[in-house]
Amino acid sequence: CSLPPFDLFLSRPDEEQGGHADQKTSPARTSHKKHLPPIPKNAVPITKPASVGTPSHLANGTHASYGPFYLEYSLMAEFTLVIKQKLPGIYVQPSYKSALMWFGVIFIRHGLYQDGVFKFTVYIPDNYPDGECPKLVFDTPVFHPLVDPVSGELDVKRAFTKWRRNHNHIWQVLMYARTVFYKINTAEPLNPEAAVLYEKDGQLFKSKVVDGVKLCNSHLFDQPKVDDPFAISFSPWNPAVHDEAKERMFTFKRRPEEHHKGAQVSGLSWVKPGSTQPFSKVDSPQS
Amino acid sequence: MMASVVANGNQDGQSLVLNGVDPETCMIVFKNHWAQVVKILEKHDPLRSSSMHPTLSASAVQNYVEHMLFLLMEEESGQGGCMGPILEFVVMENVMERLFVWSLRREFTDEMKLEQLKMYEMLVGQARQPLLHHKPILRPLMMLLSSCSGTAAPAVEAELVLLLNQLCCILAKDPSILELFFHTSEDQGATNFLIFSLLIPYIHREGTVGQQARDALLLIMSLSAENERVARHVVENTYFCPVLATGLSGLYSSLPTKLEVPNEEWHCLHKVDWMRMPSLVQFLNSLEFCNAVIQVAHPSIKDQLVAYIYNGFLVPVLAPALHKLTLEEVMTTTAYLDLFLRSISETSLLQTFLSFILLHQHESVYILDTLVSRINTPFQLGTVSMALFRTLIGFYCEDVMLQLILRYLIPCNHMMLSQRRVVRERDFYSTSAAKMLALTPSCCSPDHSPPPLRQLDSILFSKGGADTPNSSNEQKSFSEEDDSSGNSCTIGSEIYLDVSYLHYLYDARLSISSCIRACQVWSALYDAEDPPPEKYQPGVLEEPKLEGRQTQTALKRVPKLLVSNARSGLPRGEPPSIHQLELEWDDSYDACPVQTTETPVEGKPAHLSPSEPPKHIQEMRRTAIMLVKGSYIEENEFQDDVMVYNLVAKKDSSEAEHAEETQSDPAHAPLRNGLTLPTSLVSDNDKNSLKAKAKGQTDCNGNLQNATPVESGEDFLAQYEELICILDSEGRGKRVKGDRELNKPVSPVEEEEEEEMDFMSFTAETPEPEKLQSPFGTVQRLRSGSSNRCYSVPFTGPFISVLFSRLENMLTNPLHVNLLLTGILAQLAAYPQPLLRSFLLNTNLVFQPTVRSLYQVLATVKSQIEELSASRLDFPERITAAQHWLLAREASFTATGDNNRLRVKLQCEIGFSDRIGKGWEPLP
Repeated sequence: CSLPPFDLFLSRPDEEQGGHADQKTSPARTSHKKHLPPIPKNAVPITKPASVGTPSHLANGTHASYGPFYLEYSLMAEFTLVIKQKLPGIYVQPSYKSALMWFGVIFIRHGLYQDGVFKFTVYIPDNYPDGECPKLVFDTPVFHPLVDPVSGELDVKRAFTKWRRNHNHIWQVLMYARTVFYKINTAEPLNPEAAVLYEKDGQLFKSKVVDGVKLCNSHLFDQPKVDDPFAISFSPWNPAVHDEAKERMFTFKRRPEEHHKGAQVSGLSWVKPGSTQPFSKVDSPQS
Repeated sequence: MMASVVANGNQDGQSLVLNGVDPETCMIVFKNHWAQVVKILEKHDPLRSSSMHPTLSASAVQNYVEHMLFLLMEEESGQGGCMGPILEFVVMENVMERLFVWSLRREFTDEMKLEQLKMYEMLVGQARQPLLHHKPILRPLMMLLSSCSGTAAPAVEAELVLLLNQLCCILAKDPSILELFFHTSEDQGATNFLIFSLLIPYIHREGTVGQQARDALLLIMSLSAENERVARHVVENTYFCPVLATGLSGLYSSLPTKLEVPNEEWHCLHKVDWMRMPSLVQFLNSLEFCNAVIQVAHPSIKDQLVAYIYNGFLVPVLAPALHKLTLEEVMTTTAYLDLFLRSISETSLLQTFLSFILLHQHESVYILDTLVSRINTPFQLGTVSMALFRTLIGFYCEDVMLQLILRYLIPCNHMMLSQRRVVRERDFYSTSAAKMLALTPSCCSPDHSPPPLRQLDSILFSKGGADTPNSSNEQKSFSEEDDSSGNSCTIGSEIYLDVSYLHYLYDARLSISSCIRACQVWSALYDAEDPPPEKYQPGVLEEPKLEGRQTQTALKRVPKLLVSNARSGLPRGEPPSIHQLELEWDDSYDACPVQTTETPVEGKPAHLSPSEPPKHIQEMRRTAIMLVKGSYIEENEFQDDVMVYNLVAKKDSSEAEHAEETQSDPAHAPLRNGLTLPTSLVSDNDKNSLKAKAKGQTDCNGNLQNATPVESGEDFLAQYEELICILDSEGRGKRVKGDRELNKPVSPVEEEEEEEMDFMSFTAETPEPEKLQSPFGTVQRLRSGSSNRCYSVPFTGPFISVLFSRLENMLTNPLHVNLLLTGILAQLAAYPQPLLRSFLLNTNLVFQPTVRSLYQVLATVKSQIEELSASRLDFPERITAAQHWLLAREASFTATGDNNRLRVKLQCEIGFSDRIGKGWEPLP
């Protein structure tokens, strides 16, 4: 659809927005650099190897201590997939403190929930991908049959009764979260009141939704509840900060190829596209 | 003397004194002086028998001139940029020319030249108004310059080059003078851009003179980029490009043919190495100059130079040098080539070198194939070759990777048909990584290593939800205060992790990300769809189109002078292709007395007599044949590399030892029996593969009677060499030695065998049982680029074969070999192309039974290590000692900031180059 309204900007202009981020500069990398200090200078030598968490070998011979790496890699891969999906109106960003917690926001552009801007958090089980499906919790409980009116948790499980590795991905959860606002399902609701209203009194339901959206939007500029540098926060349009960022985004969108060219540092090719012969380019880089 | 006086005067600050004098007074003084000079000139014309002593008159003139020049120099230009009165007078009276003619008529000694040069140097460099625009000043200058062209006195040369350099500086600042330089005078001889032509002989000069000349030429080169006329002149009327290129050949020939290798571990020329070799420094200077010219010059000059470097240096000199007869020589050439490649920064020059390696055939074998085959040479040549490939792979060059590996993977024959989609699949849950890591020998696993080698560090890694046993070690809770939903977000539970693994990941991430970035310029994704596997046509590799085109242009633009001088009496106008062929005439023997390159002075065809090679060559060949016939062929045992490496380790390459060893291991004999090739071919191949390994060369076929007479008569290059000798006094005697060391021609039949030879070794050498199935049909496909055949039988290419084969022998390899090997493997593993990545790292991919995977090879190594560790009691201590040593090594690299080597080292420390590092940069 369209871009998010420009009066709403993620609080950290140095980070590109998830949905538009090119893979080269995905926030993922930035955030995860923090998880993996380049060279841990303050490494404290542990004198007893016995103190290692669980130095046992797994059944397949893998050393247990690699587990966290695999997990983090999986999450990174999932995040990359999310970016590639370019889900309309959905932006996510892993937390600074944990790769298992992702902050997100969803823009609803039409339908009953039009103009809704709902922040949410995705919680991923630490035995991912073998555990249950990730949880998706709205920061402010949205008035919706499938959203718990107290916790704000979206009923994701109904879509993913069993989380299957290799088949299920986190982007599907996000996609599902978007769908529920356009196609409302009232079966086995977490919010029976909303379900009943939707079925019985569309008008009232609608007005309650509009109120909810208004309430939500009125808290848009509130500080995030979680103290995390990567938490999504909005600020009013500030030309001093945002104009330049907007400009950058648009230039990048218009001339992605030039952008690539500029970024190219090395690498050589004289192969004509479509050919598999070396030095087949007629116009070698002589000019 | 005259000039020096003036110079001193200036330094003494006379200018300050002059500043107070009004211009009119200066003018009057100048005119007076000139009137005196004119009197002397008229009275004492040196041609007439003069009443006055010539020296006296000279010193009198000098005195006056000295002051006059000074006045001229100090004069400000007139209003609106017009000439000052003194200058105007000088121009009107033609002062400079008359002075020059006068000194010319006297005895025009070197001393006189020197004085005149200094005079102009000062005038040009320090005048306050532009002087060169005026023909009466420019013309005598040009006459002077041209009179100095044949000079030999070092002092005059130095002054001449200095002046030329200064003129070029002025040209660069004010290109409008350029026209004047072209037009000044017909006296300048055949060329009309004298200052340029005068500089050419100094291109390859050592020291300040050479540097100044090169700097000056570079100024003109950058001028050429904007001025078509200069470019055309350089290309069509000067020897600039040929001199540059063949100069490389000349300098190359003065390099040591055998390097003194500091130790066994040495495998490439570092700066500390080549800084100690003046001849190499000089060569690199010239190469750097070529590089710089290509960087700044007009495209036409660039094209011509690149073509001459290809046809005047790479093909006739470097190619034969890469095929010399002894291991040491070949190793040395390989190390040079590696150094050259690393020294080049300009893309089109690099392209020239790379296309030479990839596309040029020396005696019908591609240079690349020969180089690949040498990786398996069990001598230092092997490691030097590996270092060369490390350089090549490090270029992130699609063409290189295509020829080396990718073209064998594109058809996807190495995997089951159903597996093609797997190529592009992402390994979300690191199953391949886990499998690879599981290959870590138990002795190296993290919990076996004592501290402090296994430092542990914590990374921030947290859970959303309940704790797991893992996270219970130490917990800092960042939980948010009031998440009413009950999703307690426990953050910050820390898990101890292996520091060295973190280092490894960080390092891997760096190299992967830079590789991905570099490969964005590639033409295809290489993902089993693009390029499409079915449509893959190996095609015929031809010598670069570029070469043909450029040679053609280059030849068209042969300076007329050159042609008439050097080719008098020869038929002219052959099509370029003939020349090209002739450039590869290289059939003389090493140190053969027949000097191909020295004859063409008289325009005589450089003719190679088919005479017997010199004694020592014959001797060497005889030895080689003995080696071949005496032991290896009959034993058929050369395929076992481990054995060969053992031999090497024992530092014993004597025939007897070889024979003994080979005989003692008959277990592998049946390997050959299962093969379906005609016996004759097999034995030929054996012989050849032996040679490839033992001698590191592909050219001594043992058929001495095969030398065919060569017709290299109108060899193009020879002309330029001659030219160099004429132009560059230093070039004398530095003829292209390489040309004389060319190898014997080989008949087509033999070429066929040679071609196969290199690759026989790849398929036959591995002792793995599965190799039994490897059909020898592969040989035909292996004919690398020259082959049009279908890649129907699975084969992943000679490079991978050789690499894996050396990898398999890790336990017997010396450490430095293993470091190189794992370094190269780590480089390859960083490439993002799904075809390559999946081949190396995807353990889920199902290959054809005959295709060996990296995993298999590493599994073999692992089991060897486990065996060894079980059989040696002191193994754990040794491991610890080794780890300490490696850490110390790393520390020393870090201290010296040798990042490149550090990286290699880091990759090696992990032991196996897997791809876990991808975790930090999921691939698109």
